[in-house]
Amino acid sequence: MKSVIYSTIIFALICAVSISAHAQDANAILKKMDDVMYAPKDLTGTNKIVLIDKNGKQETRKAYIKQKGTDKRIMRFTSPASQEGIAVLGLPNDIMYLYLPAFGKERRISASVKNQNFAGTDFSYDDMEPKPYSEKYTPKFLKTEGNMYLLELTPKGRSDYSKIIAYINKTNYYPELMEYFDKGNNKIKEAKYIFKKVGNYWNASEINMTNLKKNHTTKMQMENVKYDNGLSDDEFTVRKLKQ
Amino acid sequence: MEKLVQKIIQLRWVIIISVLVITAFLGYQIKYLTVNSDILSTLPDDDPKAHLYMDIGDEFGGNDMGMIVLETDDIFKKEVLEHIKQITDSIKITNGVASVTSLTNILDIKSSEWGIEIGKLVDEYDLPDKKSKLDSLKKYVFSKEMYKGAVVSEDGTATIILYTLLPDADVQDAAKEIKNKVETMNLTETLYYGGLPFMLNDITDLILKDMLWLIPIVFVIIAFILLFSFRSFRGMLLPLLTAGITVIWTLGLMTIIGYELTIISNIIPVVLLAIGSAYTIHVLNSINLNTLKDRKQALIKAMSYTMIPVILASVTTAIGFISFIFGAYLTMIREFGICTAIGILIALLLSVFFVPAIISALSMYRKDTGKVKEKKHNIMSQFILQPLTKILFNYPKTVLTIWSIILLLSIGGIFLINTSVNIADYFQKDNSTRISEDVLQNKFGGSLPTFVLFEGDIQEPEVLKMMIKTEKFMKEDPNISTANSVANLVEQMNNAMGEGVKIPDEKAKIEQLWFLLDGQDVMQQLVSDDLDKGIIQSKFASIETQEIEEYTQKMDKFIQENTNNNFDVKFTGTPSLYVNLNSSLVKSQYSSLIIAIIMVLLIVGIIMRSVSKGVYATIPIIATILFLLGIMGVIGIPLDIATVLVGSIALGIGIDYSIHVISGFNAHMKENGDVNTAIKKTIMTTGKAVIINVTSVAAGFLVLLLAQIVPLQNFGLLIAISMFGSGLGALTLLPVILILANKKHKITAN
Repeated sequence: MKSVIYSTIIFALICAVSISAHAQDANAILKKMDDVMYAPKDLTGTNKIVLIDKNGKQETRKAYIKQKGTDKRIMRFTSPASQEGIAVLGLPNDIMYLYLPAFGKERRISASVKNQNFAGTDFSYDDMEPKPYSEKYTPKFLKTEGNMYLLELTPKGRSDYSKIIAYINKTNYYPELMEYFDKGNNKIKEAKYIFKKVGNYWNASEINMTNLKKNHTTKMQMENVKYDNGLSDDEFTVRKLKQ
Repeated sequence: MEKLVQKIIQLRWVIIISVLVITAFLGYQIKYLTVNSDILSTLPDDDPKAHLYMDIGDEFGGNDMGMIVLETDDIFKKEVLEHIKQITDSIKITNGVASVTSLTNILDIKSSEWGIEIGKLVDEYDLPDKKSKLDSLKKYVFSKEMYKGAVVSEDGTATIILYTLLPDADVQDAAKEIKNKVETMNLTETLYYGGLPFMLNDITDLILKDMLWLIPIVFVIIAFILLFSFRSFRGMLLPLLTAGITVIWTLGLMTIIGYELTIISNIIPVVLLAIGSAYTIHVLNSINLNTLKDRKQALIKAMSYTMIPVILASVTTAIGFISFIFGAYLTMIREFGICTAIGILIALLLSVFFVPAIISALSMYRKDTGKVKEKKHNIMSQFILQPLTKILFNYPKTVLTIWSIILLLSIGGIFLINTSVNIADYFQKDNSTRISEDVLQNKFGGSLPTFVLFEGDIQEPEVLKMMIKTEKFMKEDPNISTANSVANLVEQMNNAMGEGVKIPDEKAKIEQLWFLLDGQDVMQQLVSDDLDKGIIQSKFASIETQEIEEYTQKMDKFIQENTNNNFDVKFTGTPSLYVNLNSSLVKSQYSSLIIAIIMVLLIVGIIMRSVSKGVYATIPIIATILFLLGIMGVIGIPLDIATVLVGSIALGIGIDYSIHVISGFNAHMKENGDVNTAIKKTIMTTGKAVIINVTSVAAGFLVLLLAQIVPLQNFGLLIAISMFGSGLGALTLLPVILILANKKHKITAN
């Protein structure tokens, strides 16, 4: 009898310890994921965006991307011809500028539309934002599944999502899958990631975002990625946007 | 004929068992019968406007658009906005919903000195709470045409929450779920549910409710009348049994064919109960009146005597229904015609085969012949039939004159008939759907959607400019208050780029403005994915046929004058469909009546082997139809999807009485050759069956007054009126014509 009580207590202790370990783990895992995703000082590359509708019809756009840190980014479209030269500049504090070459003018865009889709893709402005997940979400450890940690991410601030379930690679800490849930707890979107090692960094060479309601997919592929090019802040100005 | 009846009696058990087996089989099928409440889905495919309307609905999601109107004293209050947000959020996460648009989440493009703000009209995470903020929101909303009268009513007391559904969503399930969710919020504001999804839901409920409680009432009423008339259990049971089996077979067959219950076909059971019992009534009446001691022989004699008139009566009734196959605009009316005609033939088969079989099998011959007959003789014969005969023989010309006056008045009344095609009118005034439609009408410029479809490169400045021009033209009509298209969004974006509220002249600029519009929910309702089609969405406020007609003509003309080879413009919408439906109602009324009259004339003439008797038989019924249409005009019952059926049905059922009278007359003529005696005898014998028949059929149809759908109420009333009319015609006008015709030329039997 005694041994039963002891073993129960010990078991309970182990559980308690492991739970608190998980609580710590969740934060640590998410932090590690952010470190992997946002490690480079800067990057340049070509972004190929393929939109696939429910009938399988595809439409391709290309843009050249420059990014510095987690809050400066310039995206300049190179194709299709009708969108050539359109550029978007993202700056700290949700400041965003749009340049339309046909008008030869730039306009600041308010960021109160973060849940809107970005230019016909399945990514919302929110999804596109290169802000660390640990700043935007509170993680909770769910379980380990194969070679992945499952975290439940609850938004800290405004969001259309009630939660995101992130599947994070155990060895390299990059996300393999993210599932997005609306406030009615329905899974509405999912993003599948393919990471490849480029130099010292893991690079999300392909992200497949599917809107499960509309059965519409956006494939974002990164090509010609170069890291740590020593980009200066001057690259990310309205003046540069217009060039 | 007698041999056939003998054969039937011989095979009685085979017949009875087959009927039971078929009944069980078809009865089981009814389990799979579904309800289709969507009137639009029964629009004909060969009408280009209807086709276009359905296509636009499919492509731009308009057919599945539902709306909730929230009404209170002032929309611009913190708690009201909170409630709107609460409803919006809960609809958003409902299964099958593609998008939801309301005051609290609608996209707003603001332009300022420093740039564009593509944001929300209201910050849903930080709803305005102070008076100053609410006031400025109100001012802003009323300054923009996109919102004023479209999202918020012009008096600021009501707002619309609009949702669209995914293509594969179940429209009614989603509507039901949304209504349930919103109702459990127990909000203090008044809520109205409108748009097709809610309407369909409502109609389905009404159809099922009507089915479930009207049928038993009809059953009980007919049973009561039969019991009262025949004063025997058998007299009540057999007509009801055959009618009941008829209903089961017909509904079972409907299921197998793949037809669905619609707001028209849900009255099939009532129609069949009322008509289906009639043939058995005549068969029984004839058996009762036969005085032969050998009851088996009496059955054979009686059956062979009634066989012809009963066949004739049912075939002509079926023709009345079949005439809808040719004249009807809506497929649901066509299907109703087919199914009811099938049902009538089933009733005929049952009363000819099943009734004698069951009478002989269960020995349900009349046992007492003396006492009861005496009693009935007293009531009906003494107070109705005998006085009637006297009047007819003493004052034939007066009777004819009275009929002539009634008919002249009726013809005048026909010119007063209106048509009604507005679906909202089909609901009773206190019905929630009707109320919602009224609110939409009063506060948001109506709920009749109209569309202009542009086919071509939608990003071409020429096309977008034409859209704007068309919108302006549309708004000149007092019944159009709002018009929306992608061209408006492009204009606003152009303004935001600092180049004014207009469509840019270069396509390149339009393509780049598109960059920001792309992927917004509202775009799917305005432009096709391939950018080769775009629509102007608008609403028409009036339901007056004349105004609708003027508007459609004007639009068609404008479009014709303004199209060129680069793009194609087409115009459709509920108003256009109403115009087509309207003219088709009148057309199909006349065509089905004419078809029915000609066919009835032919069939009666052929079977009676006499042209003059065919003409005589149709006179009372034509008189009845004139009388019926006159009444519709005088008391203001409009021609609608249900009442358009009345003329042909009245003809089909009403002709039966004349047929029974004519064939009774023929039989009695054969017996003694004297016209006057034959007429007297006919009235005393057949007259009784006719009166029982008129009463039971009319009572059956009068039950429809309790129906939830207005056209059905009118339909029931009108059929009842025409039953009385044609019964009266067959027992007064027809004998008088025979009496007067006989004075000129001796009528002979054939």
